[in-house]
Amino acid sequence: MHEMPQKITIQVNGEPHTLFSGSSVNDLLADIGSDGKTVATLINNRIVRPEHRRNCRLENGDHVEILIFAGGG
Amino acid sequence: MNTLPGWLEAGAGESRFRTMLSPDSPYSLEQLAAASRAMTMRRFGRTMTLYAPLYLSNHCPSGCAYCGFASDRKTPRRRLEQDELKRELAAMKSLGISDVLLLTGERTKAADFDYLRRSVETAASLMQRVSVEAFPMSTAEYRDLAGAGCTGITIYQETYDQARYAELHRWGPKKNFLERLDTPARALEGGIKTVGLGVLLGLADPQEDALMLFRHIRHLGKTWWRAGLSVSFPRIRPQTGGYQPAFPLDDHQLARMIFAFRIALPDVELVLSTRESPGFRDGMAGLGITRMSIASRTTVGGYTEPDNHEKGQFDIFDDRSAESFCRALREKQLEPVFKNWEHAYNGPSTETRKAT
Amino acid sequence: MDSLQLGSYTFSSRLILGTGKFSSTTVMLDAVKASGSQLVTVALRRFNREQPGDDLFSPLASIPGITLMPNTSGASTAAEAVQAARIARELSGSPFIKVEIHPNPQHLMPDPIETYEASKILAKEGFMVMPYIPADPVLAKRLEEAGCASVMPLGSAIGSGQGLATAEMLDIIIRESTIPVIVDAGIRSPSEAGLAMEMGCAAVLVNSAVAVSGNPPLMAEAFAEAVGAGRKAFRAGIMEKSGIAAATSPLTSFLGSGT
Repeated sequence: MHEMPQKITIQVNGEPHTLFSGSSVNDLLADIGSDGKTVATLINNRIVRPEHRRNCRLENGDHVEILIFAGGG
Repeated sequence: MNTLPGWLEAGAGESRFRTMLSPDSPYSLEQLAAASRAMTMRRFGRTMTLYAPLYLSNHCPSGCAYCGFASDRKTPRRRLEQDELKRELAAMKSLGISDVLLLTGERTKAADFDYLRRSVETAASLMQRVSVEAFPMSTAEYRDLAGAGCTGITIYQETYDQARYAELHRWGPKKNFLERLDTPARALEGGIKTVGLGVLLGLADPQEDALMLFRHIRHLGKTWWRAGLSVSFPRIRPQTGGYQPAFPLDDHQLARMIFAFRIALPDVELVLSTRESPGFRDGMAGLGITRMSIASRTTVGGYTEPDNHEKGQFDIFDDRSAESFCRALREKQLEPVFKNWEHAYNGPSTETRKAT
Repeated sequence: MDSLQLGSYTFSSRLILGTGKFSSTTVMLDAVKASGSQLVTVALRRFNREQPGDDLFSPLASIPGITLMPNTSGASTAAEAVQAARIARELSGSPFIKVEIHPNPQHLMPDPIETYEASKILAKEGFMVMPYIPADPVLAKRLEEAGCASVMPLGSAIGSGQGLATAEMLDIIIRESTIPVIVDAGIRSPSEAGLAMEMGCAAVLVNSAVAVSGNPPLMAEAFAEAVGAGRKAFRAGIMEKSGIAAATSPLTSFLGSGT
C-alpha cells in the first residue's frame, strides 16, 4: 500500500485551487494552461520572477496572483 | 568670446513678444497699451507698490563707462556706518517708506559682504521689506543674506551683448559676463525670494537686449518656479549731459517695450524708477508698471543730507515728494502701497529646490 | 528630425494610443498599426484561462517598434500603484509607467496626492514616470521636481469627450514645464488633438475616441495626421491673432507725438 500524495489548497486570482503538495509556480502555470511567458506571478504579494518559478514551492493557503497585460488607456 | 548658455537661445513662445517689440510691429502702441492695461488690472489691480533706494556706499573698483560711481570718477567715496544708516532709514520712514533697496558698488574692502549683511540686518529691523542691489555673491553668501532679512536681489546684466559688455566694463570684477549672468540663479538657489533683472537701456540694441532679458526671465521662472521675478527699465537719458547712450531709446520705444513685457509676462512685476520724468511715470502707472521708486536719493546719505550736491549714481528726473507722487497716483485711481510685505515672512525661502 | 524624447527613448510618433474599450483585439491591433503609435498603454489584469484573447502582450510585441507603457489603473493608493508598477515592469521590460490613481471608480479623477507620492518613489526606482494628473500647474512642477519623465494632465474628465476643457491650465503647464507635457484624457476628435499639439503639447494620449468610433483604424489614422499637423504648426510658429483691441480714448497721448 503506498501513500496518497498530499494535496494543498491555495487561492489563485481569488479562486480556490487544489494542487499536489510540493508543486512549484511553474507546475501551477502548466495546470491552468499558461506557458508563463506573458504573465507576472505573485505569491502573497511578492513578485516571483520567471527564473525563480521552477524552484518556488507553493504552500497551503498561499495567495497567488497571475497577471497579464490587457487593454487599458 | 564665451559660450552662452542654451536658455539664451531662441525658444518657443517668444514670437509674440518679438512681434510686439518690433519697430514694424503690426500692433499699434495704443493696441498694446490697452492690452497691457487690461492685463495689469486683472493681475495687480489698481495698486502700485512703492520703494526707495538707499545708497550704502559708493566705493567701487569697477570701471563701468556709464556709471557715476566708476572708480575713475572724482566723486568723494564714503560708506554709511550703522548709526548713519539708522538715521537714513528713519528719515525714509518719516516719508512713509517701508520697502527699501540697499545699494553698493562692486565688492570692496570698505563695502564687503560682512558690511552688507550687517546693513541688511539693521534695515530689516526697521523696514518691512529689504532688498539689495550690490555685487554678485556666492550661493552661501546669498543664503546668509536671506537669513539676515534680505528678501530680494536686483542684479542687472546691463546688456546681453557680449561685445558691448566687454567694451563698457573697462576694468574690475564686473567684467565677468557669464558670472554675472549666473548670479540671479545663485541668489534663488540661496533662498532669496525675489529677483529683479534689467538691462541698462541705451548701451546696446534695445530689442536684442529685451529679447535676451525675456529669455533670462523665462528660464528663471521655469527653473526656480517659486521665485518672484521683476524687470526694471532703467534708461540712460542723453538730455542729462552725462554718459551719452550709443542706442538712445525714446519714450515711444520704451513704452512699447514695457507693454510687450507686461503682455508676455503677466505675472512679473515691472519696475520704473525716478530716472524717468513725472509725465512718463504718471502715464505708465496703471498701463503696465506695478512698482515704482519714490522720493529717491542716489547719493550716500542722501536722505539725511538733502542739500548735499554730490553727484549720485544717476540723475533723478522725478523729484516729487512721496506725498505729491502719491497724490498723482490717487488721481489716476491707483492705490499707493507702501507695505506689500509682512515682516514676519522675511527669512530665506525654505523651498529652494529647482526644477530639473 | 523632430521627435519625442523621453529619457533615452526617441519616438517619431507623438500619438500615444490606449488599448482599452476596443470591440476586439483584432480591431485594436489594426488601430495601433494605423496610428503609427510607438508608445502604447496596457493595463494589468488577472489571467483568465477562459479568455486567452485578453492577453495582449504577444500580439502587441509582434508589431515592430512598439514600446509598452503599462498603467497602474485599479490602484487607489500610492502603495498600490507602486506595487502595480513593479509588477508591470517585470512583464513589459520597459521602464515606462503611467501612474494613474483614482480613488473613486465612478468618475476616475486622478488623486493628486497619491499620484505625487507614488511618482516620487517610482522615479527614485528608475522608472520613466508618466503621471496622469488633474491640470494643475503647481502639481505639474512638483512632479517635475520629483523626477517624472513627463506630466500627463487631463484635457477633461476621462472618457468624457469634452476636449480641452482645461485649456487655460494646460497653457500654463506647457509654458512653465521643462519636461514634455502630454494631454491625456478627454479628447474626442482629431481637431482637439491637433489643437493640443498647436498649444505646445509634446504628445497626446488617446483611447476612447479611437476605440468607440465606427471605424477605429481609420480614426487612429486621422488622429495620427492631426497630431502630426498640429506639431508642424507649433514648430512653424502660428500667426498671431490680429487686432488687440485699442481703447476708445487714447492711453498713450502723454508720450507726445514721438520721434
